[in-house]
Amino acid sequence: MANFEKSGSTKPFTSKEKPELQFLTLTSTTMATKSNYGWLQGRTVRKGGHSSSNSHTRSSTPQVQSTSTTIFGGGIKDPSGRTSEYFSMDDQCPVCKSDRYLNPKLRLLCNRCESCIDRLFTLGPAPCPICNKVLRKLAFSPQTFEDLGVEKEVAVRRRIAKEFNKRLEDFDDLRSYNDYLEEVEDIAFNLINNIDILATEARIAAYKAANAALTSLNLQREEAEALALKEQEDLERREREARAAQLAQQEQQERDERQREERELIDKLETSQKDAHKIVAKSRIAAAKRSSARAASSSANSGLLGMSFGADYAKLLKTRTNKVTNNVPDEPHVPFQDDWYAYDDLYTVRVDGYDDIISEAVRKDREGIMRAGGYKVEEAWNRALLTAVAGLDVVPLSGSDEPKSLGDADVVMDSV
Amino acid sequence: MKRPLYESSTQYKNWRYSPERLSQIRSTMNEAAVGVIRKTFEAYEPGSSSNVSFVNAHEEHLLVTFYVHKISQLCGHFRFPEEVEATATSYLKRFYLKNTVMDWHPKSVMLTALFLATKTTNNPISLDVYASHIPNTVASDVLNLEFLVAQSLAFEFAVWHTHRALWGIWLDIQNLPDSPPDISKTQGSIYDSALIHVRAARLTDAEFIYTPSQIALACISLTAPDLAKKWLESKENMPVPENRTDIPPRPSATTLFASIEAIKSIITNAGKVPDVEAVREVDRRLRTCKNPEKVVGTKAYLARKAEAEKKAEEKKNKKAEIQKATGAADTDPFGDPLSEPVKPGLVDYDDDDD
Repeated sequence: MANFEKSGSTKPFTSKEKPELQFLTLTSTTMATKSNYGWLQGRTVRKGGHSSSNSHTRSSTPQVQSTSTTIFGGGIKDPSGRTSEYFSMDDQCPVCKSDRYLNPKLRLLCNRCESCIDRLFTLGPAPCPICNKVLRKLAFSPQTFEDLGVEKEVAVRRRIAKEFNKRLEDFDDLRSYNDYLEEVEDIAFNLINNIDILATEARIAAYKAANAALTSLNLQREEAEALALKEQEDLERREREARAAQLAQQEQQERDERQREERELIDKLETSQKDAHKIVAKSRIAAAKRSSARAASSSANSGLLGMSFGADYAKLLKTRTNKVTNNVPDEPHVPFQDDWYAYDDLYTVRVDGYDDIISEAVRKDREGIMRAGGYKVEEAWNRALLTAVAGLDVVPLSGSDEPKSLGDADVVMDSV
Repeated sequence: MKRPLYESSTQYKNWRYSPERLSQIRSTMNEAAVGVIRKTFEAYEPGSSSNVSFVNAHEEHLLVTFYVHKISQLCGHFRFPEEVEATATSYLKRFYLKNTVMDWHPKSVMLTALFLATKTTNNPISLDVYASHIPNTVASDVLNLEFLVAQSLAFEFAVWHTHRALWGIWLDIQNLPDSPPDISKTQGSIYDSALIHVRAARLTDAEFIYTPSQIALACISLTAPDLAKKWLESKENMPVPENRTDIPPRPSATTLFASIEAIKSIITNAGKVPDVEAVREVDRRLRTCKNPEKVVGTKAYLARKAEAEKKAEEKKNKKAEIQKATGAADTDPFGDPLSEPVKPGLVDYDDDDD
C-alpha cells in the first residue's frame, strides 16, 4: 500500500497497469467506527472502478470520475466514484489558456490542464513556471474541492493521518489521548499554514521513529475491520436475497397449488356421482388444512433460515459493540409492591376454561378477531371472580351518624 | 396485614351508607330545597308559595326509581351492554343523593347520566346519534348537565357492579368439587333468574348499603339457597396457604347470614317498578314546584344569570385595577423583547451560487 509514495519515478502511470490493491468500502458506518482520518487515508483502488459489493458505482458520466485510471498520485481516491471532480465553466489553464469551451474534457490538475502537465513534466521534474518550485508530475492531483486552500489542507491531513493513527484504546486515559490529538492538530496546522515547516517535519520524523510498531499495528487493525464490515454487508445482502427468493418461491408454490386444487375440483365434479355441495365443502376443508399446514411449516422454515444467518450476524454485532461501549452494570431491580390484598387465594380461575354463555362469543371466535386487541377471556373471568369475592366480609354501616368522608354533602346544591 | 382491595375503591370509601343515614340525607335535602325554593318564590311573587305543594322525600325517591327503570328500557333500545345500564343507574341514584328533583328533572339527568356512562365504560356512542334516537332532544340538552352530573358524582366514575359478581359466583360454582360438569347447561336457569333479581336490586338502595358480592350472593340465594350456602361455606373453609401472613380472616357464613336475609327482603319488597299513575301524579305536582331559578326564561332565572354576570364583571374590573396599580399592563406578558442583535450566522442562506 505504501508503493505509491515510493514510486516517484518518472514513468507515467499509464492506465494499463494493475497494481496489487486493497479494497475500501466507503460507507457512513466506517466513518463512525474508524479513526478520524480513516476515509482520508486513501486506500488504493481496484482497477476499472468495478467494485463488486458496491452497487453505487455510476455508469460513465460526462464528468470525469476520480478512479485510478486517471490519478497520477495524491488527490482523493474515491473508489465508489461518488465524489466527482470539481469543475466550473470558467476554468482555464493558466499556461495554455484553453478552457472548457474549447475543450470540454479539460481536467485541471493543480491549476494546470492535463495536457500541459504532460508536456511540461514528461522529461522529469521541472520548475513550475509561476512559482519556480521544482515539482514532479506525480505531485499533481485532480482538484476535488472548490477552495484550493481546502484542497491543500486535505492533502496535508491525509498525509499526516497515515502517520498518526493512534486510537483511544492505545492510551491509558482520556487526558493523554487528548494530548496526543492536540499534538497532531498542531503539526497539521503548522504544515497547512506554512509555519515552521522544518521543525514540524522533524517532529513528524521523530514520532514516526518512536511509534513505528504501534502505527503498523493500527493499520492492520483497520484493515481487518474494513474486511469484517464488508463481509457482514455481504452476509446481509445474501440473507435478504435468500429471503426474497424464498418468498417468491412460496408464492409460486401457493399459486400452483391453488391452480391444482381448482383443476382437481373441476375434475371431481365432472367425474364423481356425489352431491356437488359435499365435494366443494370437502375440497375447501382440505384447502384450509393445507394452507394452515403450509403456514406452520413456512414459519418454522423462516425461523430456521433467519436463525442461521442471524446467529453469525448477532455475533458480529456483539463484537463490534463490545469494542466500542463499556458494560455498565444494571442496578438491581426492585419490583413494585403495594399494600393491597387481592383475594388471590380465595379463588382460582379454572385452567381449562369455563363453559358459560357470556363468554361464548369470544371462545367460539375461531379467527381470533376479538382477541386481536389483546383481549383474553381469562382476564374477564379473573375480574368477575374478583368481584365475586371482594367485600364479602364488609359489615354494612348502621346508625345515623355522619361518616367523615361525607362532609361536603350539600355543597353542590348551594353552589349551582 | 394487607387491606382488601375493595377498600381502595371509591365505592367503598364514599358511597356507602346505612339505611337510616340514607333517609336522613334525603329528608334533609328535601327540606333544604323546599326552603330555598319557597324563598325564591316569595322574592318574585310574594304570597304565591303557600299555594304550592312541594314533593316530599318519598315522592322524590319514587320518581327517581321510575326513571331508573326507564334507563333499562333505553338501554334495550340502544342495545347497550349490561355494564352501561348498571353504571348509568348508579350514576342517577348517586346524583339524587346530592341533588333534588325540584332543581333538576330526572328525565334530563337520566339522558345525561346514560351518555356519561357510555363514555366511562368504554362503549362510546356519537352524541348526534344518541340525541337523534331520543325524541324531542337536542345534543345541547344532554351536554348542559354533564358537568353538573360529573361534579355531583365527585368525578368518581368507577362502579363495582353486582352482575359481574354474579357471573363470578356462577363461574366459581362450576368449580365446586361436587358440581356436575355440565352444570352451566342443566342449571342455567338458576343464573338467569338470579340475573333477574340483580336487575330488580338495581331499583333499590341495596348498592349503597351492601357490597356487590353480598348482593349477588343474595340473588343466588333467592333462586337456589342451598347452592349459595354451599358456595359460601367453600369460601369460608378455603385453606389459608402457609407463610402468608397478609391475609385477613375468611368471610364467615354466620355473620353474613343476617346481611343476606336483609338484602333478600329489600329486593323482594322494594325491587319493583313504581306504579305509573303515582309517578304521573308526582310529575304533575313537580311542574308547579320546580325551582324557578333553574327554569330557562323565568324572571328568576334571568335575574340569577344577570347576577352571575355582574359578579364576573366585577372580578374582571378588580383584576384590571390591580394590574394598572402595579404598572403590569405596560409590560408585555411574554417578557421583554431581546436586546442583542442577531449574530450573523455561519451559513449564508442567500448565497445561491451552488
